[in-house]
Amino acid sequence: MLDSLAQLYLPGALTLWCALFFSLMALWGYAHSLSPAGAAASLPFARRAYAFFAMSVVLCGLLMTLLLALRDFRIEYVFQYSGLDLPMHYQIAALWAGQKGSFLIWLFWGALLGLLIGRTAGKNEPAVMGIYTLTLLGILFILVRENPFVMLRETPLDGEGLNPLLQDDWMVIHPPIMFIGYAATAIPFAFAMASLWRRQYDDWAARSFPWALGGFLVLGSAILLGGYWAYETLGWGGYWGWDPVENASLIPWLFGTVLIHGLHMERTRGRFRRINYVLATLGYLSVLYGTFLTRSGVLADFSVHSFVDLGISGWLIGLMVFFAGLSIFLLATRLKEVPTEANEDPFLSRGTFLVLAAITILISTAVITAGTSAPLLTRFMENPGQVGPSFYNRVNLPIALLIALLLAAVPYLSWKGNEPREILQKMIGPLGFAAVLSVAAGIWAVREPIHLLFVFLSGLALATNAHKTFTKYRAGGLRAAGGYLAHVGVGIILLGILASSGYDESTKVTLELGKPRQVGDATLTFQRFLPRVGREKEGMEIRVQQAGGKEFLVRPRMFTNDRTRQVMVNPDIRNFLLQDFYVSPIELDPGESAEVALAQGTSSRIGDREFRFDSFELQAEGGNAMAAMAAGKPINIVTRVTVTQEGKSETVQPVYAFNPATGEVSNPMVALASGGTLSVGGIVPMNGTVQLLFNKPLLSIDVTRKPLIQLVWYGFYVVLIGGTIALVFRLREMQRRE
Amino acid sequence: MNKKGYYLLGATLLLAFAGFSATAFKETLTPYVPYEMARKGDRVVQVAGALEKGSSSYVAQEESLYFTLQDPKTKENMDVRYKGLKPANFEDAISIVAIGRYDETARKFEADKLLVKCPSKYQGAEVKTYS
Repeated sequence: MLDSLAQLYLPGALTLWCALFFSLMALWGYAHSLSPAGAAASLPFARRAYAFFAMSVVLCGLLMTLLLALRDFRIEYVFQYSGLDLPMHYQIAALWAGQKGSFLIWLFWGALLGLLIGRTAGKNEPAVMGIYTLTLLGILFILVRENPFVMLRETPLDGEGLNPLLQDDWMVIHPPIMFIGYAATAIPFAFAMASLWRRQYDDWAARSFPWALGGFLVLGSAILLGGYWAYETLGWGGYWGWDPVENASLIPWLFGTVLIHGLHMERTRGRFRRINYVLATLGYLSVLYGTFLTRSGVLADFSVHSFVDLGISGWLIGLMVFFAGLSIFLLATRLKEVPTEANEDPFLSRGTFLVLAAITILISTAVITAGTSAPLLTRFMENPGQVGPSFYNRVNLPIALLIALLLAAVPYLSWKGNEPREILQKMIGPLGFAAVLSVAAGIWAVREPIHLLFVFLSGLALATNAHKTFTKYRAGGLRAAGGYLAHVGVGIILLGILASSGYDESTKVTLELGKPRQVGDATLTFQRFLPRVGREKEGMEIRVQQAGGKEFLVRPRMFTNDRTRQVMVNPDIRNFLLQDFYVSPIELDPGESAEVALAQGTSSRIGDREFRFDSFELQAEGGNAMAAMAAGKPINIVTRVTVTQEGKSETVQPVYAFNPATGEVSNPMVALASGGTLSVGGIVPMNGTVQLLFNKPLLSIDVTRKPLIQLVWYGFYVVLIGGTIALVFRLREMQRRE
Repeated sequence: MNKKGYYLLGATLLLAFAGFSATAFKETLTPYVPYEMARKGDRVVQVAGALEKGSSSYVAQEESLYFTLQDPKTKENMDVRYKGLKPANFEDAISIVAIGRYDETARKFEADKLLVKCPSKYQGAEVKTYS
């Protein structure tokens, strides 16, 4: 014990121990205020203890951030995830680069959110806060055990640096937002458990609704940012790969989607009363389960984001079992007591359709969970395996069709029920829109009947909800329009998904420097290499001439990380109204190379090219190159070389820069119009000969056209804006009522 | 239709969908298998191993990459053909997972996807997928 104590950074460890102490105090206080004897005095005590707990956690988080900012490599975590070469924003982002730091930021947000929950819980505050504190205690235990403040015996001069894949601006914002979303799933869970425990079944739905909606919006934003990251910088070819880590964030989000609809129904019409408890529970447990899947190493061989077992699997399983046990106990003993309304809705009514939509989304969630768990499920069979994207795509296609159909009908359905003819009459406008859209899609490229149906139903959902958003807005402003607006977004997303992933065209081609090549209806020319300038990494410039005469440049990046020597790739994307033009480098082959030594004025042949060394010039800062050379200052030798091929000549000026003080040489390759590159390999000053290097680099790229991919982003914005509108108005209503 | 009828219909649809999902699951599942089992070539599987140093060669005409994997435990070898370009960091990989099917006549594992695991510091290893 003493030995391990000596290896801890005490101020940091102290904040964690304080947090542990105060959280236990808070728990005791909340529990005591619920006992008949304890009563009034205990609640202020518990609140104060919670505030101290939150303060300790915030301090702990800030301290770790400070240690990272100061690059204090005595701390093992700082050493493992940061380094002297990192700019400050990556240095701070290293806080969520490792597992310990990820748990720390999760706890950080969780503790801060907790400061606001108590006030919204009403009379049930002690129970809600007690259970909420319990969920945070679980994460805190992991941190106390896997202490992030472990110190090394010796202080290294530099850290190991941040994984180059994570050195990206998206990395700075995507994970912390994700963890706010994860932390927020514990809030409806705490409300639900407290409500069951205290047998106060009435107002938990209304009170936790804004939290559930807020959490849904935050998690949704994080998923959107992750999609951007994958698409725009990582060059994975798409925004979604059905990777276990992606799914681990999608599953709680889908539960959240059903939960906000359920809570809304309970709040306004007293429906879904029992199922909402189950939904809130599943939402939280799915976060724990996802954390277990991705952090325990069970998926190590199956995921793009590979995580190695940190030895916390036992803890995570323990947490899951504890909270699952608690919720199963409470659900089993109390759910029967929750009053429900008998379901007397006719089939064609809003109530029935909402239930159907909820079931459909839950089925999708179950299937995605099963797919993500495949390595675990099949572990007990002979050979563990995994399912690929084709599984998720195939299974979710009918689900998406059904969701679109239900979404399309909902705006025109009443609670009491409708006649089919009445609905169809109201739908005439949107039906026309969907028909026109399907015909247009058919003319464009969509031939498969099921895809045409997909376009028709998504278009219909978009149109009916847009119509309803408009009429609601006209009647009463934005107040009741948010939900419908969000549904418009879903229709847009569905169309974008179908077009961009069902009808994308991808070709892998190899380009020779300088030589135009036809790819589809465009001509691509790999023009030149781009040098590293400041934070801009090395890359290539490719000229794209499209059939219509449109011409543009793309500059994908491909560079070697200085530290790990890993080859990194960033695609470049041109957005057009109807499609994205996406170019991702795959490999750069230096190609065949040849060398000639030439004295001034002489020439020599390599293959069918003739190279003539015309002249050279010495350049230096200050003008006097001879004096600079004598003084040992850097000089540039600018050569003039004429290259002739098949009667055509061109003159280029490759440079050889030499710094005698450091011995540094820079001799960039110059692209030739006839293809290939030329550089100066060396100079022999005695006899004035140069060594010329001729290269024919080959660049392999992935060229993809993604039609209408912008719709996925725009649709997502619309969903988030619609949800935010709804949230703002619910919060205002609540404030008025309090 | 009465209420019971609706429930029955719902249950039938649900069962049908469950069957559909289970079939899709079975069909798309790619199990990790030892080389010996992969050689049966009866389904799409994944095999893992270390790259035999110097065994990789890219044949430009076929746009294919040939290499040999070695099982670190049994020291067995498996020849692989991957129809695609050589992934970045391929030679430095600590382990490679090939997903595909064994071709009896060519006596090679025809991979359509590669997972390349490189030594890196993000919790020990980093995997990238190529297809």
